[in-house]
Amino acid sequence: MSNKQDARPQEKDHVTKQWQTEIEVIHGIGLHARPSVIFTRLAKTFPCTIEIEVNGSSVWLNGKSIVKVMGAKIRKGSVLKIRADGIRAAEAIAALKELVEHNFDEGKLHGRNV
Amino acid sequence: MAEMFRLQGQGTSPGTAFGQIHLAVETEAMFSSQTNPSAERAILLDAVQVSIAALRALAARSPAESAAFLEFQIEMLLDPEITEMAAGRIGSGDGAALAWVTALDDYIAGFEQSDNDDVRARAADVIDIKNRVLAAMTGKSVADFPAGTVFVGKDISPSLFLAHDWSAGGGVVLFKGSAASHVSMLARAKSVPMVIGTGTFNIAGKTQLLLDGGSGCVVLHPSDEELRQALLTPLSMRQSADEGERPCPTAVRTADGAKISLSINVNDLSDLIGVDHAGIAGIGLLRTEFLMSSAADIANEDRQYGIYRQVLEWAGQKPVTIRLLDLGGDKPVPSADKGDWTSFLGLRGIRLLLARPEILRIQARALLRSAIHGKLKVMLPMVTLPSELERTVTIFREESTLLERCRVNHRIPPIGIMVEVPATALMLDTFGAADFFSFGTNDLAQYLTAAARDNAAVADIYTHAAPAIFRLLAHSLQIAANLETPVSVCGDMAGDPECIPGLLGCGLRHFSLAPVQLVAVRSQIAQFNADGTMAVDK
Repeated sequence: MSNKQDARPQEKDHVTKQWQTEIEVIHGIGLHARPSVIFTRLAKTFPCTIEIEVNGSSVWLNGKSIVKVMGAKIRKGSVLKIRADGIRAAEAIAALKELVEHNFDEGKLHGRNV
Repeated sequence: MAEMFRLQGQGTSPGTAFGQIHLAVETEAMFSSQTNPSAERAILLDAVQVSIAALRALAARSPAESAAFLEFQIEMLLDPEITEMAAGRIGSGDGAALAWVTALDDYIAGFEQSDNDDVRARAADVIDIKNRVLAAMTGKSVADFPAGTVFVGKDISPSLFLAHDWSAGGGVVLFKGSAASHVSMLARAKSVPMVIGTGTFNIAGKTQLLLDGGSGCVVLHPSDEELRQALLTPLSMRQSADEGERPCPTAVRTADGAKISLSINVNDLSDLIGVDHAGIAGIGLLRTEFLMSSAADIANEDRQYGIYRQVLEWAGQKPVTIRLLDLGGDKPVPSADKGDWTSFLGLRGIRLLLARPEILRIQARALLRSAIHGKLKVMLPMVTLPSELERTVTIFREESTLLERCRVNHRIPPIGIMVEVPATALMLDTFGAADFFSFGTNDLAQYLTAAARDNAAVADIYTHAAPAIFRLLAHSLQIAANLETPVSVCGDMAGDPECIPGLLGCGLRHFSLAPVQLVAVRSQIAQFNADGTMAVDK
């Protein structure tokens, strides 16, 4: 879990309410089927826009779209940037970051495989 | 209980069946070649909704582990991005099925081409989603009926009959039947009891029905006694079914003893019913554009694979030449875009497939996969330039590499060409890369005489094409002999007894024709010498 940084506001946060974080994905098979479902479901509970970028590609994808998240082919070791813009952006970033850090809550999903 | 009720129809496939009635609901064909983008978009959205509902029902009765996997599929389908991918293609003129499949194939290719095993494994999930929505679009999963039931309706389509699982028993009762002859043959081949021509009868609720495909007797609400009697006799009825089919001589020879091969042209799987397998050299032409009745079939790799495999397994060790989709000209293209494909001189056959490689790639994968089930050969329609052959072979190789990476069993079959454009016949020496040549005399005739074969005003000119064709064939066959490339003829001339002497005279020894023409052509060949002259004796 190296390389991870705390959720931090960007310079213009007070104007745009934009928040961003960066985190390394350590989940065994990356952000796929089951993790993608959990990630996008959580993202969709926030009213702000949520976008992700993988390995510094500068391509920002809709973090609420499982089709886009799956298509990003995020695997173990990928560096994931998440940014949120709008109402409850800070809260969204904190929640999504925690989800990735805690392996998509797999520990709580008894008997469920990914 | 309701009273016992007896009906008399015409038995077309012997045997006795007893079961719950499945009353067929009339369904409209969902696909036509000309439709507007907003209608296609609605078809796609409907299919997605149907798929989501089916997945939710499935998830509700599945254990947690598989429910989690189903939830992933549901989430994917709920995401508007997934239909958005296909929307652009619909906007540019594709039908819903083709747009959906090509969009998803692109998306799937992103996973398949990854160097990471886990990422590649995700492709299977998305392929499952693709096929589920495709099936919902064609209505196949909806149209099928419970195994073991008796199908009752006005008619049953051959594709529905073939798709249904008859292993649990059941039978067919049709109100009409004049159009059912194909299905009757299929029913006899599969030993599915069938009665036609009962006239419409009213059935309500969970009625049970007994039918005797030998006598044509149908009994609604049969009594226990009736059932007991029926179940005592079924086997004796089945015996007489296959009478009247005379075996064909396996070797066909000219009067002076030259060996001739006769293969058959196949447009529909039911064409195979009644064909004496031992009497033919193989299938010389399988016209895939007729096998696939809808745009959804053309976009459906698995369905194509299933059909090809069935034909190859029927043929056993005999060669089967499957022609790539010959769309355009007088055969409609599954697209809302009318373009210029209706012209015989425009984008048709291999030209169209190379212009729309996504269609070609689907068929190529289905063929590569089916090749392991028999002696498959693949034939390209309307080839004019050697580069068209090269580009097609490249696509087959590329798809083969992709299948290899996914560890899918397959084989690259021999690839040959149709010779139906005069320039191709004249320049045959530039087609050394082809594994075989097959002359399509129908198109060759219309291009040689500049007389469209669908125009009655010039029909007389078209029918006088034979001498010019013979002259061109003689030239081309000389080149083919130098290249040592096998040659056959599969156009209508091959099935026309009057043309047989001329074709023999050109040096042709392999003919592919409609099964119904076999008897006439076989006897004609026996009366001529290999050089096309009339045999003196007999």
